[in-house]
Order: sequence, then structure tokens, then C-alpha cells
Amino acid sequence: MEKALTGLVTWIDARLPVTRAWNTHMGEYYAPKNFNLWYFFGVFSLLVLVNQLLTGIWLTMNYTPSAEEAFASVEYIMRDVDYGWLLRYMHSTGASAFFIVVYLHMMRALMYGSYKKPRELIWIFGMLIFVVLMAEAFVGYVLPWGQMSYWGAQVIISLFGAIPVVGEDIVTWIRGDYLLSGITLNRFFALHVVALPIVLLALVVLHILALHEVGSNNPDGVEIKKNKGPDGVPLDGIKFHPYYSVHDVQGIAVFLFFFCGVIFFAPEMSGYFLEFANFEEANNLKTPDHIAPVWYFTPFYSVLRAVPDKFWGFVFFAVSVVIPFALPWLDRNPVRSWRYRGLLNRVMLLVFVASFIILGVLGVKSPTPERTVLAQICTIYYFLFFLAMPWWSRLDRTKPEPERVTMDGGMGFWKSVGTLVIVGALAALPLKVVGAESAYNCGTMPCDVFEADDTDKPSLQRGAALYANYCMGCHSLQYSRHNRVARDLGIPEDLYKANLVFDPEIKLGSLMSNSMDKGEAKTWFGAAPPDLTLISRARQPEWLYTYLRAFYQDDLRPYGVNNRVYPNVGMPHVLMELQGLSACFDASGVTATKVESCASMEMVSAGAMSPQQFDGAMYDLVNFLAYTAEPYKADRIRIGTYVLLFLVVFFIFAWLLNREYWKDVH
Amino acid sequence: MTDQSDSHQPHSGNNQTRRRFLTAATSAVGLGGVAGVAVPFLGSWSPSEKAKAAGAPVRADISKLEPGQMIVIEWRGKPVYVLRRTPDQVAGLAKLNDELKDPQSEGSAQPAYIAGEGRALNEEFLVLVGLCTHLGCAPKFRPEVGAADMGGDDWLGGFFCPCHGSKFDLAGRVYKGVPASDNLEIPPYSFESDNVVVIGVDAEVV
Repeated sequence: MEKALTGLVTWIDARLPVTRAWNTHMGEYYAPKNFNLWYFFGVFSLLVLVNQLLTGIWLTMNYTPSAEEAFASVEYIMRDVDYGWLLRYMHSTGASAFFIVVYLHMMRALMYGSYKKPRELIWIFGMLIFVVLMAEAFVGYVLPWGQMSYWGAQVIISLFGAIPVVGEDIVTWIRGDYLLSGITLNRFFALHVVALPIVLLALVVLHILALHEVGSNNPDGVEIKKNKGPDGVPLDGIKFHPYYSVHDVQGIAVFLFFFCGVIFFAPEMSGYFLEFANFEEANNLKTPDHIAPVWYFTPFYSVLRAVPDKFWGFVFFAVSVVIPFALPWLDRNPVRSWRYRGLLNRVMLLVFVASFIILGVLGVKSPTPERTVLAQICTIYYFLFFLAMPWWSRLDRTKPEPERVTMDGGMGFWKSVGTLVIVGALAALPLKVVGAESAYNCGTMPCDVFEADDTDKPSLQRGAALYANYCMGCHSLQYSRHNRVARDLGIPEDLYKANLVFDPEIKLGSLMSNSMDKGEAKTWFGAAPPDLTLISRARQPEWLYTYLRAFYQDDLRPYGVNNRVYPNVGMPHVLMELQGLSACFDASGVTATKVESCASMEMVSAGAMSPQQFDGAMYDLVNFLAYTAEPYKADRIRIGTYVLLFLVVFFIFAWLLNREYWKDVH
Repeated sequence: MTDQSDSHQPHSGNNQTRRRFLTAATSAVGLGGVAGVAVPFLGSWSPSEKAKAAGAPVRADISKLEPGQMIVIEWRGKPVYVLRRTPDQVAGLAKLNDELKDPQSEGSAQPAYIAGEGRALNEEFLVLVGLCTHLGCAPKFRPEVGAADMGGDDWLGGFFCPCHGSKFDLAGRVYKGVPASDNLEIPPYSFESDNVVVIGVDAEVV
């Protein structure tokens, strides 16, 4: 058996250099023995890349790239395909994780001078990967065809309109249409799943080949190839395999713990990984109140907004992305690692990190004059850091570099924590100064507290009944299926059919659409009643809960009512027979004529329910809508718990294995 | 290792055993993880809720079906024939046994609760998947006894596949000397009441 295997390997090696490739890149690739935590992020980004490729391929199996179908097909994946929600959350979380690890990977290069001679090409390939990754993430974000997909793409594509003379023609050419449409979506789909991944993979191969040609840098910035033993092996080098492969496995376990923690317990990450407004289908006639790119683009987006001119904004934005390419030639200091460079280098770098974070945070917030000033200061610093580097890097005083790598170098645990605190404070304090969000999160008033509870089956059942009686006539739940609602809420199918479906023709396996004509509805209400399957994700449950209880009498409106949370909404007060009707008075006790002046409410005609009963009923209704927005939530949390427990066990084994092998090194 | 000599000789026996054990254990746990990761990828290929809804059991009202009349119902995208047989048609089935390839349907696809020459839960109603077992065309219903083009006097009525000429009797049993080898398939079905047949839900075995 063993002889046959050896024979097979010899046979293949004579035709394809498999053993040689293994030795070059793993078995006899000598890496410095003093890697620290920062050196995990390269392998993490490879892991995320594999995750993106696999989940991406699987998502295309059910995704439909057309303006009519795209949004519905994503919800189809999330609800109707077995484990579809998991594949999609793995992909959406992977996108953000990719940028987190890549930013940290780049930070490592900045700290230890990994871009400097002879590693310039590694840096160039790495930067190309970063730029292609941004393009990939941008076109990918358009595919779900939600409001943020649409308006984010609208803004970014319009940027090219800033190019003099040919700008508008280029914009039309990119879209392939006179507006952002299904045609654009289709070509972005091709770029996202075929063209850009191929380029990305090729660049990753080049990045690694270039790295393995010159060898890895290390936290001391000392070239290990300068000190070789009689056998030609660097004295401070250890074989990548097994030492760094077992080392990386334990790191991967820790990374996966956090990664899966987000996937299973916070896939939206409070709206930063999956933006709330993107749970509303794209509408080319209505921009969301607040539009911001996904967090990983925001530092560059802030640069764009900081410049008070369209053309120059575009130029600064573009230059801010490409300027790091020049880093190997901007840095004139002979010393690589910041361990042996002076205070000036440290201050410049840490302030740079803080200002990059500030730009990122500002990019997700709506602009105010104070914030714009701060963004301008940080933008200036961003460019100063790079453009003045040839001078400040030479000015810096350096310490003597050691001959060999050190195992106890670096600042140690407490100093590292201290540095993090300093950077955090440098970023947080200026943001605090320009802070102050003034607008209420529920229209003209603060939101009431709402805590959804998907284990409270009676509440969900009452909510479903209310929905069927009062909402379903106008608002469909078209991504949800009757039989799933019946199953999840514990309602027997015959009871469900008798009490919650009023049309005997409807099959329980079908989607919960309704027969209202969208065009006629628009003439009746001024706007077609939206589908509500995802409303609790798009608007958030506390908003819904407050909204449903905030109707008041206003004779100036077509249906005689207005709403404090959603001023001038087209919806009549359909729950009036339950709630009764309140009137609104301003601060001086006069009937309010404007929503904003509404200070106190008073019941003018009672309904069938007391105010407490009505609040309870609205709790049930919103609880039901929170359920329909994410019916697989209970699965997500159950599976996630097992996954995290497994990762803890796996980490223990990986940690023991790593400790065993690294006895050779220490 | 507390023993000083071990730290200089990492490949001594003791160390090696532990190293091998830990490598095997970590690999085993890791493989378990890989298997876990495979679950969503493989699982997502099963029929989705949409497919299941489209393939859900189909009900048909048979109260208005005249003796000798046939209706076609779509179930999972396939034509399902429901034929109300006359007493003569049922009686004729037993006479044909010698001309058929598999008269007792021993090698043919049908639920366990279907047996005998009539191949039905209720002799009066024949329920069949209307797809030829040869290459999948939909056979024509040819009830006319003695039809000249079907072999004259010997023909007691049945099904004829226009694609390659396979012939089946009024229980969907295939004749000898035609390309098809198996009798027409009987889908899972049951009677919800005397008047309603449900295709796709198995009858309770008595």
C-alpha cells in the first residue's frame, strides 16, 4: 500500500511538480518564528474568501437577477430554501468580515513596514486586491435590490458624472439605461459572480507567490535570510507546515467563534452589516430618509462628502483610495518595524488610524456643519500622512535594529491595551464634540419601548388573527406562506383555514398575497399599501408599535386622521373601532393643526377596547409582524448555540496541538 | 515536558505519541466540523417550500364522473388519470392475463396497498400516472372495444402510447410485444370521502 502510494507520487511528480509546490509553499517555506497576533489576518482573509466563494455559488442557485424577481428571490432563499437563511447570512456577514480582516492585515503592514523593499510587489498586489474587493462588494450589494442597494448604487454610479465632458455619457453607459434598472442589475450580477471573482483569485495567487518568493516580514522587520545556518536554512525561520499551520488552526477557531457569533446571533449587526432600509424593495421614485453606504466604504465616502465640489470630491475620493499604492516609495525611513522607529512615526500612524475611524463613523451619519468640518480636518490629515511621508519619515529618529528576531519584543499586553485606548479616545472625543443627533426616531416623537417575543405563541396567534381581520385586505404578506405560519404558531391547519383564511380557493402552501389591485389602491390611498412581510425589519418593531397607536383626528386629511409617527400617511385609521379616536392639542391647549405642534392627546370617542387592551392588541400585532419578518429566528439561535459550543471544543484541541508542536520552537 | 533532554530532542518517542494523538484528535474534531458545514450546503438542495407547495397533494371531486369517463389531474407536474370503470370493463380484466407481461404487477411501480388485476383501492376507480413507462409520453385513452386500429376484436379498451406504440389495458397493465416493459405507475392516493380522491396522500393500510 505504502509502496503503491510512493509510486503514485513519483509518477505524478515526474509530470506535475506537486511535491515541489508543497515544499515551496508549505513544508519547506521558512517563516520567521516571531509572528504575533497580527499575522493571523492573512489566513483569515483566505478563509473568508473561501466562505464567500462557496456560499456565493450556492446563493446563485436560487437567486434571480432581474428587477422584478431579485428582491423576492432573496426572500425565497431566506424562507423557502432549506438553510437558505444560513447561506445568505454567511455571505452577508462574510462581506463585512472580509473588510475587517483586510483592514487589520493592512494595518499590520503599516506597523511593521511590510510594504518596503523587497516586498513592494506584495503590497501592490494587496492593494489591487483591496480595490477589486471594493468593486466586488459594491456590485454585490446591488443584487438584493433593496432600497439601499438601489440608492447606494445610484449615488456611486452618479459619481462618474463628475468627470468633465464625458461624465454623463459614462454614467449612462455603466447603467445601460437612462435610469438604474434591471439591465444594470443583470450586468452587475455577471461582474459579481464571474468576472471579479476570477480577477480576485488571480491577484490572491500573485500576492502569495510574491510573498513566498521574498519571504515573510516579521514584527521586528529583521530580514531572517541574512542569518542562515550551514544548511542554508534561516536560523530564525521555522517550517510553515507544521508550525504555522497548527498555529493558524487555533486562530481560525477563535475567528470562527466571533464570525459565527454574528451570523447566528446578530446577522444585521444593528443595521451595519445588513442595513434596515434594504429590507424594503427598490423604488426608483422614493429615496430613503437616510442613506449611507455599508460601513466598509464610509471612510472614503466621508472624504467625498467633505469636499464642497462635485468634481473635486470625486477626485479626492478616487485619490484617497489609490494613494496607498505609493506607500513603498513614500516611506523613506530605512527601518521597517515601528518597534525601532521613533515617536514621530508612532504618533503619525496612530493619529492616522484614529482619523480613519472618525471618517468611517462620520460616513454612516447624516452630515451637519460641525461633522463636515471634522471630516475635512481628517481628510486633510489623511492626505498629509501620505503626501508628507517622504519628509516626516526621514525626520524620525530611529533605534538600532537587532541582528536577530526577538521573541519578547513588542510592547506587551498592557501597553497594547493602552495604545488601543489612546486610539479609541483619539477617535471618540472629536466625534463626541460634533455629536448630537436631534431628530426623533419615531417621526415627531420618541419611540415607545417594544420587546418582541417569538416564544409567546398565544400572543403571536392573536396577532395573526388581528392581521387577517384588519390588515390582510390591503397589505399582503407575500413572502410568507400560510402553512408555515400555521405550523410555527402552532395553529392546526383546519382551524387556520377556518379562522384566518377567508377565501376557500387559497391553498395553505401558497404565498400570503392578496387580491387588491395595486393601481386602484394607489388612487384610493395616494400610495399602494406596502407588503408588510418585512416591515418590522425595515422599520423596526418599536417604530411599528408606536405608529399603530399614534393616529389622531385631523379633519384636513382625506380620511380625517393623521399620525404623529408617520405624518400625512395615506393609511386610514382602520383600527378606530377598537381604539376609538383621539384629538391632538398643542402646548397652549388648542387643537393642533400641525403634527409637530402636537403636545397632548385626548380621547374624543371611545372604541371597543380600553387603552390598555388596545396596547396589548397592538403588542400582539407587532409581535406577529416581527415573527413574519424573520420566521427562522428560533432555528438560527438554536443552531448557533451548538455551533459556538462546538468551536470551543475544537479550540481546546487545536490549542493543545499547537502547544505540543511549538515546544520545538521555544 | 519537564525532562530537560526532551526539549532538545522533540522527536523522542513519548512526545511523538502525544503529537500523533493530538493531531488525530484535532483532525477528527475538525472533520466533524467540516461535516457540519456541509449540512446547509447539501440540505439546501432538497425541495424548497415552493416546490413542496407545488407538489402538495391534489384533491379531485369524482362525484360527477360518469361510468366509462376519464379525467386528467395534474400532480407534481405529471398527468394523473382517474377513470371510472364500468362493471364490464372491470370484468374484462381477468381475461387478458395471458396477453400481458406482468398481469399481477409484481415488477411494476404501485403502492403496497394496491394489488390484483384491478390495481385499485376501489375497483370502480382507476388512478394512474399518465406517463408511458417506456420513454415518458402520455398514453391516449382508447376505451372503444374492438377498435380496428388497436387489433380489432381482441381489444377490450385501454391505453395506447402514440410515441412508440405501447399498449396497456384498463388497469394500466402492459401488453406483450410492445416496447414498454412495466405497467403504468400508480401514484400514492386515497379517498377522503366517497366523492373526493386525494392524489399524493397514501391510503391507510387496513
